[in-house]
Amino acid sequence: MTYLHWRKFKNIAFHASLYLAAIIVLLPLFLIVSYVFKMGASSLNLDFFLAFPKPVGEVGGGMRHAITGTLYLVAIASIISIPTGLLCGIYLSEFGKGKVANLLKFSIDMLTGVPSIIIGIFAYILIVVPLKGFSAMAGGVALSIIILPIVCRSTEEILKLIPQHIREAGLALGLPRWRVILNIVVKGNLSSLITGVMLAISRAAGETAPLLFTSFGNMYLSYRIDEPMASLPVQIYNYAISPFDDWRRQAWAGAFVLITIVLGINLLSRLLVKIGGLRHLIRRGIK
Amino acid sequence: MSSDIILQVNNLNVWYEDFHAVKGITVGYPEKSISAIIGPSGCGKSTFLRCLNRIYEEVPGAKATGEIILEGKNILDKSVDPVELRRRIGMVFQKPNPFPAMSILDNVTIGLRLQGIKDKSYLMNIAEQCLRKAALWDEVKDKLHKLGTSLSGGQQQRLCIARALAVNPPVLLMDEPTSALDPIASAKIEDLMSELKKEFTVIVVTHNMQQAARIADYTSFFVLGDLIEHGLSSDIFTNPKQQKTEDYITGRFG
Ligand SMILES: Nc1ncnc2c1ncn2[C@@H]1O[C@H](COP(=O)(O)OP(=O)(O)OP(=O)(O)O)[C@@H](O)[C@H]1O
Ligand SMILES: [Mg+2]
Repeated sequence: MTYLHWRKFKNIAFHASLYLAAIIVLLPLFLIVSYVFKMGASSLNLDFFLAFPKPVGEVGGGMRHAITGTLYLVAIASIISIPTGLLCGIYLSEFGKGKVANLLKFSIDMLTGVPSIIIGIFAYILIVVPLKGFSAMAGGVALSIIILPIVCRSTEEILKLIPQHIREAGLALGLPRWRVILNIVVKGNLSSLITGVMLAISRAAGETAPLLFTSFGNMYLSYRIDEPMASLPVQIYNYAISPFDDWRRQAWAGAFVLITIVLGINLLSRLLVKIGGLRHLIRRGIK
Repeated sequence: MSSDIILQVNNLNVWYEDFHAVKGITVGYPEKSISAIIGPSGCGKSTFLRCLNRIYEEVPGAKATGEIILEGKNILDKSVDPVELRRRIGMVFQKPNPFPAMSILDNVTIGLRLQGIKDKSYLMNIAEQCLRKAALWDEVKDKLHKLGTSLSGGQQQRLCIARALAVNPPVLLMDEPTSALDPIASAKIEDLMSELKKEFTVIVVTHNMQQAARIADYTSFFVLGDLIEHGLSSDIFTNPKQQKTEDYITGRFG
């Protein structure tokens, strides 16, 4: 074998291993999504979205309360953690020097690593125990603790990618630092920041463990923040382990809806990245 | 060319951590003149220039001592607000740095807009003027809403010049503004500087000795953080007092 052949062979072998790795990464996603879609789509009907659960043993009913509940819980979590996470990330990236910042960074890394069930227990002790009851508030807080470090870290990482000389250029124009951060650094990367936030939200939407003993779940539609609240993941969990065929059918439908929500948020956030460019295209079209 | 000193630098020293980058420089810049700073790469030209608008403070570990007097006040003094200072002393950086995700037009007008000016036609007017001065208007007039970052390197540098001009600072610092430009665009920027001199004070770093000789009234020659010689360009380039200067401008050193 000549040197050239050997080199070509190495090239092919390397490419092949890259493709193999890609397939190994993609395969589980493809299998999960296709299986859930197959099982879920056949179990899905209009009632699933519009109806509430029927009493045990009766066939039919839906998960309207759980879909509403998931959106509600995610909204509470977002209201708490998105502003906090964004500000915290901006602080770390723009001012993050010294002991306080290092401590903050360390804590956030730790928080990312805490298993979600532990966060659930924490919210249970913090909110459920003193208030003597499961509540949507407790569930929302548990979810917010899960996504806070994600939002914070993604914000920090994105802003850190912006070269220092861009900030200097803004300051050199005689703009105050907060203006430079807000109007140049943050605004110039808004779509990536939003992407980070949305990925965090989609993470919260799918969490089950921290909700089991915080928002707990119920079988009717509730909008009260101090009462238990149903959510898709918990509802799926409860129905999937039940002995009733019809509930297990609905669990598949729930899984289908949940995965659609999560993938939908992901796709939407990716779309948003393109919107920056899109807006320019549109404006150019008008001019 | 007037001889009133607008910016007087006294015994300026700059350190990066413990590296002494600028060593005890004393020099005065007359109002409405062009002054050039020349010297071999790494001799502290950019560092010196970056002190004049205090942007050096953005580098962690950088420290400056001495005096830079503008209108009777030492601008290195902590009581001087760098934001106010930088509105009076504009800067064009060595590397082009248009703002990300911002159109060409917005890049030029952002300084004014963030100072609270909203009048669209006024902003448009200023933008056109500044882009014309920066010799960029003809190339971008049909795509003002395209991203600033979509321009070529040389075009980006001219965009940055236009952006600095838009806020109308009485003193303009330019760090090798033409090093990324072709001869035609460079000539236009040189014309611009000569034009600016009527109202403004320009301090420009350049590696191009002919350029310094052509446009600058005064020239400073730096080596390794020391100011070797400062004086009228006509003297520096035809009759230098220091041997090192003569060696450098004749290409025997540096
Ligand atoms: N941020 C920094 N941290 C540490 N040292 C620095 C920094 N910036 C510059 N220096 C050092 O200070 C010295 C002067 O650098 P400066 O950028 O001022 O040179 P210059 O004359 O502008 O060179 P050039 O013509 O290549 O642009 C160099 O030795 C450089 O290594
Ligand atoms: Mg330099």
